[in-house]
Amino acid sequence: MPSILILRDNQYDPQYRNMRDVFVLGAGTTKYGKSHLSARELALEASKKALVESGIEPTDVQAGFIANAFSLSEKQGHLGPIIMSGLGIADVPASTIESACSSGASAIREAWVNIGAGIYDCMLVTGVEKVSQLDTITATTYFSFGSDYIFEGACGASFPGLYGSIARAHMSKYGTTEEQMANVSVKNHENGMLNPNAHFHKKITVDDVMNSIVVASPLKLYDACPFSDGAASAVLCSEGFMLKMNGHASEAIKIVASGRAGGTGALHQRPDLTTLNAAVLAGREAFKQAGLAPKDIDFLEVHDCFTIAELVALEDLGFYPRGEAAKATQEGQTRINGETPVNPSGGLKAKGHPVGATGVGQVVEVYEQLNSRAGHRQVKDARIALTHNVGATGGSCAVHIFEKN
Amino acid sequence: MSNLETENKEGNPLTIKEFQEGIHQGRIEGYRCKNCGHKQIDIIDFCPVCHKSALEKVEFAKEGKVLTYTIQLVAPEQFMNEVPYAWAIVELDDGPKITGWIPFISKASDLPVGQRVRFKKSYLPGIVFEKI
Repeated sequence: MPSILILRDNQYDPQYRNMRDVFVLGAGTTKYGKSHLSARELALEASKKALVESGIEPTDVQAGFIANAFSLSEKQGHLGPIIMSGLGIADVPASTIESACSSGASAIREAWVNIGAGIYDCMLVTGVEKVSQLDTITATTYFSFGSDYIFEGACGASFPGLYGSIARAHMSKYGTTEEQMANVSVKNHENGMLNPNAHFHKKITVDDVMNSIVVASPLKLYDACPFSDGAASAVLCSEGFMLKMNGHASEAIKIVASGRAGGTGALHQRPDLTTLNAAVLAGREAFKQAGLAPKDIDFLEVHDCFTIAELVALEDLGFYPRGEAAKATQEGQTRINGETPVNPSGGLKAKGHPVGATGVGQVVEVYEQLNSRAGHRQVKDARIALTHNVGATGGSCAVHIFEKN
Repeated sequence: MSNLETENKEGNPLTIKEFQEGIHQGRIEGYRCKNCGHKQIDIIDFCPVCHKSALEKVEFAKEGKVLTYTIQLVAPEQFMNEVPYAWAIVELDDGPKITGWIPFISKASDLPVGQRVRFKKSYLPGIVFEKI
């Protein structure tokens, strides 16, 4: 029986002819967690921080992208003009980019395209989410709308349930254990302790994870990222614009690759449930564009919405062979001082997961790390970093690589 | 100018409404590609294998085996009174995969991967399976 092909023979190979270099001039974030502020207020706070970090005024912004998934839960759509108006630049065009949990990286990607193509020289990308006004069941329901709803949400699968089935498939194919997955959570909480903007500042043990309540087996509460409020923002610009910024230019980081790919919305249409094909393809494209390999990356921020997702990410991106990321995590290889530091920010698990903000927040972490401003969670001598941001269960994925010279 | 050839000039051979009516009446319906034979339970208009738009509506087997699953203890609104239950990906005996839920599953030992299951006509929401 024919199966869905992982790689089509005639798959399009994106062409980046005559693209200009694009830089992150500055980036900033709100604290992640439960906030009494609305999405528009959180977005303004993060945007202002990014503008200050970049040394520019709102009037320097030529266009914007807002990354957001659930603003309708606050009875507010059309966030672009609301946020631009809040910055006093209502005439500047801004629209929302939505690709579930990878909205943030998708917005970064589209700004990179616009600047690279020479259309704009300076863009603001702000990701934001506000969900704490929803009770757990309602939030769970909203999140299930990111699945292929007819077959998944409407048949009883919650988001943790979908990743729970990925986890069980990984356990039965590679012998991954629940204790090994728990190590991801312990490590990311350890890192989150060192991040003042993280949702959780709580050290946990493998036993704490194993004894936490079951949400969607084999995943337990401490295998799952929280519902967070928060916003993150970055200013992207061309080389010419950056060079005019004098002092701030020295902190700019270069986007050396932007890869993205898609996958089926529904898990049951995939030939292999232990990998996200979109992440494999996006990673491959990014490494090819940058002319780099996993061994060249000093640290990564990956999409650990659930513990199993971090293990699958490391295997999809080629940092570890299939089935071996769990053991590497257990050995401490992915800790801040390990050979492959993963999620020094605390990741989605401990730093938090304000859906639309997450992918932009990963860029904020990269900006701070590559400028040696990450305090106690600083990765030593970090110069090249990778971000991996997944939409839903891999219906979309964007991978970026950044370099500081 | 498109040179796309389609045999389904009247639109999709299986609408969501028809699919869901089929489920309520005890039938699992989906597509078979008339060009390459690929079978899929979905709402699509093009075959993901040969990329032709030549899908026909077919009915599939009611029995199959569990490929992977989760046991939901926290559930979306519609299912909050049903916990605990398993949400599973099932491979039907004639090939295609489908998702569904299995009531009253509370622990992993209740449902080994590979367990044989049967689709069950039901007034409950979604697609319901039971262990054989």
